[in-house]
Amino acid sequence: MNRQRQDDHDIILAVRDLVVEHDGGDGRTVHAVSGISFDIRRGETLGLVGESGCGKTSAARAVMQLPRPTRGSVHLEGMNLAALPRKDLRPLRAKFQMIFQDPIASLNPRRRVRDIVGGPLAVQGELGTEEKNRRIAEVLSDVGLNAEQTMERLPHEFSGGQCQRISLARAIILEPKLLICDEPVSALDVSVQAQILNLLEEMKARHALTMLFISHDLAVVKHISDRVAVMYLGKLCELAPAEELYRHPGHPYTAALLAAVPAPDPKRPLGRIDMVAGELPSPTDPPSGCRFRTRCPHAQPLCAEQEPKAGEVSPGHTIACHFPLSG
Amino acid sequence: MAMPLLQVIDQRTYFETGRGLLRAVDGVDFELHQGRTLGVVGESGCGKTVLARSIMGLLPSNTRVGEGSRIIFDGRDLGALDEKSLRALRGSEIAMIFQDPMTSLNPVLTVGKQIGETLIRHHGLSRHAARGRAVELLRDVGIPQPEVRVDQYPHQLSGGMRQRVAIAIALSCQPRLLIADEPTTALDVTVQADILDLLRRQQIERDMSMILITHDMGVVAGRSDEVAVMYAGRIVEWAETPELFRNTRMPYTAALLNSIPRVDDPPHRRIDAIAGRPPDLIHPPKGCLFAPRCGHVEQRCRRHSPPLQLASDGTHAQACWFPQSVGTTP
Repeated sequence: MNRQRQDDHDIILAVRDLVVEHDGGDGRTVHAVSGISFDIRRGETLGLVGESGCGKTSAARAVMQLPRPTRGSVHLEGMNLAALPRKDLRPLRAKFQMIFQDPIASLNPRRRVRDIVGGPLAVQGELGTEEKNRRIAEVLSDVGLNAEQTMERLPHEFSGGQCQRISLARAIILEPKLLICDEPVSALDVSVQAQILNLLEEMKARHALTMLFISHDLAVVKHISDRVAVMYLGKLCELAPAEELYRHPGHPYTAALLAAVPAPDPKRPLGRIDMVAGELPSPTDPPSGCRFRTRCPHAQPLCAEQEPKAGEVSPGHTIACHFPLSG
Repeated sequence: MAMPLLQVIDQRTYFETGRGLLRAVDGVDFELHQGRTLGVVGESGCGKTVLARSIMGLLPSNTRVGEGSRIIFDGRDLGALDEKSLRALRGSEIAMIFQDPMTSLNPVLTVGKQIGETLIRHHGLSRHAARGRAVELLRDVGIPQPEVRVDQYPHQLSGGMRQRVAIAIALSCQPRLLIADEPTTALDVTVQADILDLLRRQQIERDMSMILITHDMGVVAGRSDEVAVMYAGRIVEWAETPELFRNTRMPYTAALLNSIPRVDDPPHRRIDAIAGRPPDLIHPPKGCLFAPRCGHVEQRCRRHSPPLQLASDGTHAQACWFPQSVGTTP
């Protein structure tokens, strides 16, 4: 625990017991995120991985305070964003920015690249046109675009990969502390995906960014992350350093996810997915105890009775499971 | 060797657009034998879906098909068939499933009715018999409680279940060729594995032929007999699946394989991305269409377009003047 104390001052984002619930429309509550906690250290990339409906996007949006979480705290550099009044939150938004899955839809189709990328500069008050243009040009060339050729154009004139570069330029122009990426490469072709992943790594180094990177793709997450958290039905199952998690998955769900990844190698035997067939339970009515138990091949009576607490099995590797896998 | 079930000869599918003629598929040749699965891999815009739709005869009105283009299915030239015979062929002998199962499912009909419809139309089954067969088919595709699901509507099912229903419909008339266009792209990874296994199992059990279209090299790696890689409307490399991965010759295929992040890689490895973008298919450059992005480009590549050349042993073909041999799997 000593190590943790030393690192305390280096924690940029501390999320505690984050809960996101919303109205399902029929009077029932959707439990999108049900009490998750994690830290992100300065300069680190935390990957958040899970399948659709697991709550990873809801969690990211709650960190962004878009909308605010139902309960729990989100400390950014020691300040609890979840408790700040709206007027105090607004000037802080420069510190945490987000990019999204659909790069074209996330840009205003009627605004020129100059205005899209320069938009966030407005929070810094009156900047001269020259200064503004200089910073826009600088950040555009930073993300690998030719500023002169892009500034006056509209989003529809660009490919998906270029639009994602423009989104990234807009997100980093105010030099944020934290960048949240929600499936930023999922809509892109593999060759473009590789370009954007490399770019994110470069930007992270050049701008001293800390990242929360959300994806359903385990290979992509491993590539970019220092540590990885796995989510299932609103809960964190497992969190570990990337290499450790992929080598020694301890939660049966993590193991099933890893086995399901189609490897581009015909010699690699197809993994057997050790998971009970069936559907993801509804987040309006999650199972008692461990939420994965209805699909877990190792479930015992205890799993239905008691929710497993996250326990540390090795330094930095926590698993929320009564009967974690060994080896 | 027996006659192939499907022969595609010099297929050219062009679209008239406001900017000019778009060469979506531009001279594709291949054969597919009975009981084989061909994976067709490529990035968006490479023509893989248009190729599938060309085989199915499902093309929009602004299409111009090349004069020498022929699609021969079981000895019949599909281009020479009238619309009525084509319709009889589609659904019964050639079936297709799509990325989004909702595009092929009718939201206001129960699952059972939709499966039964094709059986009644193509096989003359009675309503009662069709329902019974629908339950069997739902069981075949791994749907639990098929006798309950048969009376449900598509919106009551999850994405994975809907794709299973779409597969059940496609299989209902025992097609000899199944075309699956990105069948798992919209699904979660654990569901994807189940659906791919299901398709492979059904293909083998029924001795069907299958064309599996995907952007994901990982999807074809374990579940196809041969692979055709498409780029800018053409097949640029074709081989038996293990051969293609072991002995990649076309630089585009190699680059595509190298740009995929892998779970076995250490974190933060820089990926070898392919610089640039695919060419404009309305005004394609001269010579090899991959030349502007190719790391091994020579003078000749920019002047002359390389044909798809079959190696002497007939197991591997590539459209490249300077084929490499870079095994990407150790």
